[in-house]
Amino acid sequence: MTIQPVIVIEKLSKRYRGSQQLALDSLSLSVYPGEVYGFLGPNGAGKSTTIRLLMNFLQPTTGSARILGLDCVKDSVALKRSVGYLSGDFAVYPKMTGLEYLCYLDELQGGGNLKYAKSLAKSFKADLNKKLGELSRGNRQKVGLIQALMHKPKILILDEPTSGLDPLMQELFYAIIADAKSNGVAVFVSSHVLSEVQKMCDRVGIIRGGTLVTEQVMADLAKEAAQTFDITFATEAPVKVLKKIKGLQVQMHEANHVVIHMHGRLQLLFRVLADYDVVKIDSRTIDLEELFMHFYENKGPQK
Amino acid sequence: MKAIIKWSLKQRRHSIFWWSLAAFGLIFINMIFYPTFKDQAAQLQKSFESLPEATLQFIGGSSDFFSPVGFLNSQIYFLMLPLILGVLAIGLGSSLLAREEQDKTIEALLARPNSRTHVLLSKALVGGIILAITTLVSLVTTAITAKMVKLDVSSLRIILATLACFLLVLCFAAIAFMLTSFGRARSASIGIATTFSLGGYIISSLSGTVSWLQTPSKFFPFYYYQPEAILRGTYNWLHVLFFIGVIAVAGVLSWISFRHRDIG
Repeated sequence: MTIQPVIVIEKLSKRYRGSQQLALDSLSLSVYPGEVYGFLGPNGAGKSTTIRLLMNFLQPTTGSARILGLDCVKDSVALKRSVGYLSGDFAVYPKMTGLEYLCYLDELQGGGNLKYAKSLAKSFKADLNKKLGELSRGNRQKVGLIQALMHKPKILILDEPTSGLDPLMQELFYAIIADAKSNGVAVFVSSHVLSEVQKMCDRVGIIRGGTLVTEQVMADLAKEAAQTFDITFATEAPVKVLKKIKGLQVQMHEANHVVIHMHGRLQLLFRVLADYDVVKIDSRTIDLEELFMHFYENKGPQK
Repeated sequence: MKAIIKWSLKQRRHSIFWWSLAAFGLIFINMIFYPTFKDQAAQLQKSFESLPEATLQFIGGSSDFFSPVGFLNSQIYFLMLPLILGVLAIGLGSSLLAREEQDKTIEALLARPNSRTHVLLSKALVGGIILAITTLVSLVTTAITAKMVKLDVSSLRIILATLACFLLVLCFAAIAFMLTSFGRARSASIGIATTFSLGGYIISSLSGTVSWLQTPSKFFPFYYYQPEAILRGTYNWLHVLFFIGVIAVAGVLSWISFRHRDIG
């Protein structure tokens, strides 16, 4: 039996009123049960627009999105029974205590979730008796996470979820997500913290200028990231010759020094290098940040 | 719906208290001076009758200020009560939804299984309840102090005049609420609704002396608010349909706009 995706976005576009440009341009992607999908991109790339379209805070210009088979616009009320959401700039009523806020949201959700909310608060060491306006950003974020998780949703849509959390609480959050994932919960998470993405996500989509630039399985991404060489030649680096090698991309070169990304068979590279006086060759594990910057900054769509 | 109403009222409980106290205090202070005015009614009446017609229109629309009905009309119902309740109404109409949107707290409400209609209706009801509480405090204060100072107007007519005032300010609230549900900023909503209500008051007051203002004045709720006629029992209650019409149209337009627009 084929596993059906629980979040399906099809050619979703959004143009804001008064704007000539599309904030989101024909985005299509799917997220499967038990999968953590990281949604990455620079500021203004369209991450929040996508999330707000999924939550039906924004109306799509064209295209559609479905969660658990329900249309995000037409069935928005029904699908929110199964969705936990945390916004990027989590806003609260400053005069309410954490407990009052959770009670309020629990009543809006239909009730019966307070016990679990309190146990989450205990795990996160969140003080629910303080007024939300008096809490630090990190402590408010804990309340935000609790309200997103308290009704044990089948889908989690999280915008920068660990922002403001200390490392201990971040670890706890990852553990909770791992637990939810093992229970078949699908998580759609936007983040800027690449170590977090690496730790948490199964798959990532990188968006730039409203367009999905690439989608990668984290394991493949790591594999691809390993094929990076930093080469120093005794004389001028033969950049023109190197560029002719199939699967090779020159990332940087200056005089006798070149940094390359190599996809495919390495023997093609070494066969060429054998003809030159190579002083030093380093194969280093590229960090994800460098890889993401490559997608963020200057590369077109690569599928 | 119950949850939004309950928690919104809880959040605004201090504001409800202070507004009710202000309404009580201002009405009480005005009413307790009635015996003093009554004793000098003949002299005061004479001096007021010499005022220009336009001035009279601004302070009650009649030259009768010191009969029981004239006093109640000029001191409470013509200007003061609509002013207190009107400021509250515009404040509520322009903040109930807009503040949630401005502060982004509306996302938490809409992220739960609640339709936008549900949120909109709940917020409108909260506004109606708060206005009703303050109006009720005003009514009770007026009725009791009227008995205390032996102001001879029937309680039923006081109730009806207060009800008409409630409907008038509900129009202002509905207009402000409609503007914020279109996505207008709070400040714009306050500005437009205030211009509409205050402008309506000025135009309706002047229409008695400036003939060309008679037709435009009919487009403003204030024209149909005639507390003196209500207190005398000569009011044409069909005028209330104008208030109900404005509230209904504003309500429907709010719903149509808010149902499908972008939030935030």
